[in-house]
Amino acid sequence: MPDGETPANEATETVATAQPNDPATATTTGAPEANPTPGPDSSASHPAIEATGLSHAFGDVRVLEDVSLSVAPGEIVALVGPNGSGKSTLLRFLAKVRAPDEGTVTIGEAGETRVGYLPQQPGFRSGFSAEDTLQFYAQFVDDEIDVPDILDRVGLSGAANRRVEALSGGMTRLLGLGRALVGDPDALVLDEPASGLDPGMVERLFGIVSDLAADGTAIILSSHNLGPVERTADRVVVLDDGRFVADAPPREIVESAGAADLQTAFGTLVSTDGVDGR
Amino acid sequence: MSDAPPRTNDRQDLVAIATRELRTVVRTPAVVALSVVFGLTVVAVTAAGSGSRGGYVPLVLDLVPFVEALVPLLAFALCYRAVLSDRQAGELDVLRTFDVSRPAYVGGVFLGRSLALVTVVFGSLLVAAAMVPVLSPDKPTFLALNEAADSPVAFVRFAVLAVLFALATAAVALAISAAARTARQALALAIGLLVAFLVGVDAAAVAALASGTVGIDAVPYILAVSPNGAFRSLVFGVAVETGGAVSPLTALLGLGGWVVGALAVAVVTAWRPVE
Repeated sequence: MPDGETPANEATETVATAQPNDPATATTTGAPEANPTPGPDSSASHPAIEATGLSHAFGDVRVLEDVSLSVAPGEIVALVGPNGSGKSTLLRFLAKVRAPDEGTVTIGEAGETRVGYLPQQPGFRSGFSAEDTLQFYAQFVDDEIDVPDILDRVGLSGAANRRVEALSGGMTRLLGLGRALVGDPDALVLDEPASGLDPGMVERLFGIVSDLAADGTAIILSSHNLGPVERTADRVVVLDDGRFVADAPPREIVESAGAADLQTAFGTLVSTDGVDGR
Repeated sequence: MSDAPPRTNDRQDLVAIATRELRTVVRTPAVVALSVVFGLTVVAVTAAGSGSRGGYVPLVLDLVPFVEALVPLLAFALCYRAVLSDRQAGELDVLRTFDVSRPAYVGGVFLGRSLALVTVVFGSLLVAAAMVPVLSPDKPTFLALNEAADSPVAFVRFAVLAVLFALATAAVALAISAAARTARQALALAIGLLVAFLVGVDAAAVAALASGTVGIDAVPYILAVSPNGAFRSLVFGVAVETGGAVSPLTALLGLGGWVVGALAVAVVTAWRPVE
């Protein structure tokens, strides 16, 4: 991929600084010399998730080009971009379930914090109920886990005894969110958590995300639901062709694009002609 | 918010995973059906064959070929997709975020599935043994001279060796499930290794002998290379004491080597560490 030749890539330098009342602590960039710049509140706490200089290729296809990103405790960062732009790949690196070709990811101050992860297509062992499934994962954390409470938070109390293979696509995703919440991790990586949910559940999901952030959880999520993203996220990072083309609070992105809303701004920032399948 | 450091208790993780595997096995109709078929086959061979009427040792000789063929089949059916299914469902990724180690995960899967396998194999053989007194004639006619050599202990030794054999084949199947990236790969590897174990190694030994590549003294050691050959040698050398082709220790090392080697492969290939 040619460097910096597209209008989208030119927007890489439209990086905005976090607003004073935002918990954001860092910016993103595709250039190594412009690694995360501390925001106004950065001295208050160490980033919950910090990625530096991530590059990755699948064979000859470069999917990430030297991207850096940090997420502060209590911050909601939304990762948006066209299909195939490298979002899921980046989120796997941030969840530390895959290693990039180059770059480092640190979770917590000394890398010791667990990150809750919702994969793009969450899967579960069939034959078990939703409650059984969460009880299984609860065994891997030291704290006492209130599984019924988790099911209630994600709106699955009524389906606690339903087998996972009998859950709808949206309910399966909610169970995946519940699984990510087991043990109250300090950082959450959610890959399209709102996909397949009805509008009411989308609002509920973003409400859950807001509540978690208010309690200090650092959250990075990818989503195509730009309306709720615009209302909920502290920062929006736009990924296109493996590079960040914008990183700012949603209002700043909308204003800098001269658009009416994030949906319209998104259309001006990225090219959605082709899908590379990342 | 949890400030707890990552967990390091592999034993607890292993038990949690083993429990889920065991529960999965008993809820999988195909595996339950295959286990029933295995048990019925052992009972049918016992009832239909002449061995059980002669005592425990003849029964062992009746059962050896069936156990050699059916135990790997059952073990492979139980294990060949265990890790692969978790990988394809994305559960391996999620388990890693809970700081579950590879040895704890693989050990748990092996323990859970092996418990089910051992229960079926050992249980079926015990049922077969229990049939001997029932099926044996009250006054043996031709075994009077042989009675001292026949004992339930011989059959128990055989059953224990069958369990070791089952563990070795289960470990191999688990290694396949960890190394394969697609269901097709797993199936191809499973079938290929099954054929190799059942006939391939024996045929290779014969071919090597016929071509003069190896001497007659080396053939027993070649046979001990396969789990089936090692099991057979142990049965004839230890259980019924008819004189095995290989020393029991060599054959035992052969089986143990398969268990350790296969589990090591499973641990290494289950997932690639991020750091």
